[in-house]
Amino acid sequence: MIQTKNLTKRYGKFTAVNAVNLNIPSGEIYGFLGPNGAGKTSTIMMLLGIVKPTDGEIRLFDEPYSPRRLDLRRRIGVVPEKHPTGMWTWMTAGEYLQMFADLFALEESQKRIDHLLDRVGLAEVKNKKFAEFSRGMLQKLSIVRALLHDPDILFLDEPISGLDPFGVKQIRDLILEENREGRTIFISSHILSEMEKVCQRVAIIFGGRLMAEDKMKSMLTTLAKDREIHVDLEELPSDLPTKVKSLGFVQDATGQEKTLVVKVPKTGDYRKELSKFLIDQNLVPLSIQEKSLSLEEAFVTITKENIDLFAGIGGEK
Amino acid sequence: MNQRAHATTVLARRRIFETLISPGYYVAQTIGLVLAYFLVAGFVRSIDSSGFDYQLYPAYELIGRSLVGAFGATFVDKLFSEGPFLFTLYVAFLPVLLYLAVSSVFRFGLEKKVGALELLTYGPADGTSYFLSGLIKDILATAIYLVVLLVFLLVAGVLNNLVLGPSFYYSLIILFFLSITIYAYGIFASCLTDNSASAIAVFLGLILFFIIILMGSFTIVSGYVRNLASVFAWIIKWISPLFYWDFALGFVEVGNWGMFFVGIVLLLVLSAVVLFISHLTIKARGVRS
Repeated sequence: MIQTKNLTKRYGKFTAVNAVNLNIPSGEIYGFLGPNGAGKTSTIMMLLGIVKPTDGEIRLFDEPYSPRRLDLRRRIGVVPEKHPTGMWTWMTAGEYLQMFADLFALEESQKRIDHLLDRVGLAEVKNKKFAEFSRGMLQKLSIVRALLHDPDILFLDEPISGLDPFGVKQIRDLILEENREGRTIFISSHILSEMEKVCQRVAIIFGGRLMAEDKMKSMLTTLAKDREIHVDLEELPSDLPTKVKSLGFVQDATGQEKTLVVKVPKTGDYRKELSKFLIDQNLVPLSIQEKSLSLEEAFVTITKENIDLFAGIGGEK
Repeated sequence: MNQRAHATTVLARRRIFETLISPGYYVAQTIGLVLAYFLVAGFVRSIDSSGFDYQLYPAYELIGRSLVGAFGATFVDKLFSEGPFLFTLYVAFLPVLLYLAVSSVFRFGLEKKVGALELLTYGPADGTSYFLSGLIKDILATAIYLVVLLVFLLVAGVLNNLVLGPSFYYSLIILFFLSITIYAYGIFASCLTDNSASAIAVFLGLILFFIIILMGSFTIVSGYVRNLASVFAWIIKWISPLFYWDFALGFVEVGNWGMFFVGIVLLLVLSAVVLFISHLTIKARGVRS
């Protein structure tokens, strides 16, 4: 549905986006991650036709894309990071949405506006000036605006930034619901814990280059250097970590209160051997859990120092 | 209707509504009409047995001296030859023209800065449909005000036993078309810059530049400076809306109505050229600042 080939953007001598290849199939929730200045916004702006690529190709819906293709633009919904402040302050939420419904020449627009406002819990404030809305309400209003014309792709730029936990959950549920209805969703965010909850596939951009692109689980497995096993014990003898380190498969072992933390190579499952060893030491393991790498840790792993190591994982080969 | 025309119509409707509910437009109109009232009243007080003498009324004396200094005595004589209304028309039109032009330039820069213009392009509108909607709003607001001003001055004429001469009506027509070109230059300044402040500076700079060129053509400067200035002005004048305004009114004086309409057409052509350059500029620079 969204494809880019060698997408590049240069500003003078500075390369903001360097030969990025994306391939996002229909119906996916795709997370686009990157620190500030990584080239995330430039990539999105090129995908939306706001910024012209210096080089490369963009295909949307299997057709070459250019900003002139208004027919393709009609199939995209966009939620920018922030709602423009100080503009259209005299408008009510209903009038604001009506303006965009008119731009899209929607039929039965009132019905559609009412339905969407109801879905996000803003039906009661339809006739309220949106200048009085909170950040969360504005974000929901923005999503309603982006969904008005029933787009095939929804672009969300930092959709939960600055929202309270309740607002975060509402937006997350809305994203998942929209995806269940078959909409392709492209999310750019730095709140990695949330991305982990909603995205099926993620890409990490750094220094303008696509460092990694994979399914969430595969990426976390690939990026993990080792496995970390947490064993809860009734009691943790002080010499236990040293004893555990003597086991051939153990790379490191430490004690944290009543929990033994053991690092083993990611190539094998050593839980059975570890349990046997602990029982031999007359200790009772209450629980044995493998702690997987979080997206946040994976993100941090991809740093300037190991660009070469991770460059081959996903998009950039 | 294609998408751009549709987006332009929808946005223009909104912007006209916004202008009609905002106090700024009415404040500018009021200022213009109050100025018109004082100028007509002052003119009546400046008439003695030998006719109009601007030296009889302090305000007119100041205005008259300034205009003679800037444009020469012949220009001032022509300006008042048909009574007070021609001068009043220009003075009363200026606040509304400035308000509409500067507020549009300001808004364009602001909407670009805060991302509102970008949001509209997801709408889907584009930079060109956005600025065309603003131009339609300005043209309509100008037309409304010119009608109001015309009615106001007709009533003032009847009450003071004065008539609006032919030059007044021709000036009224040419002012309408002149304002379109000025708004087009406002759009061009907005497309060229990233924020409201620089857009307003570029726009006012351009207008000032055109005024200086026009004043140069009226002012008698001797020797080398005059020759150099006239060569420079000849090169630049083709892009100045004030040149076509002067061109059209010049033919009115000699009764050549055909060339007057040629002047109007040239103003429209210049507007179209400036808008086309603006279209190319916003296409190249984008709607993000």
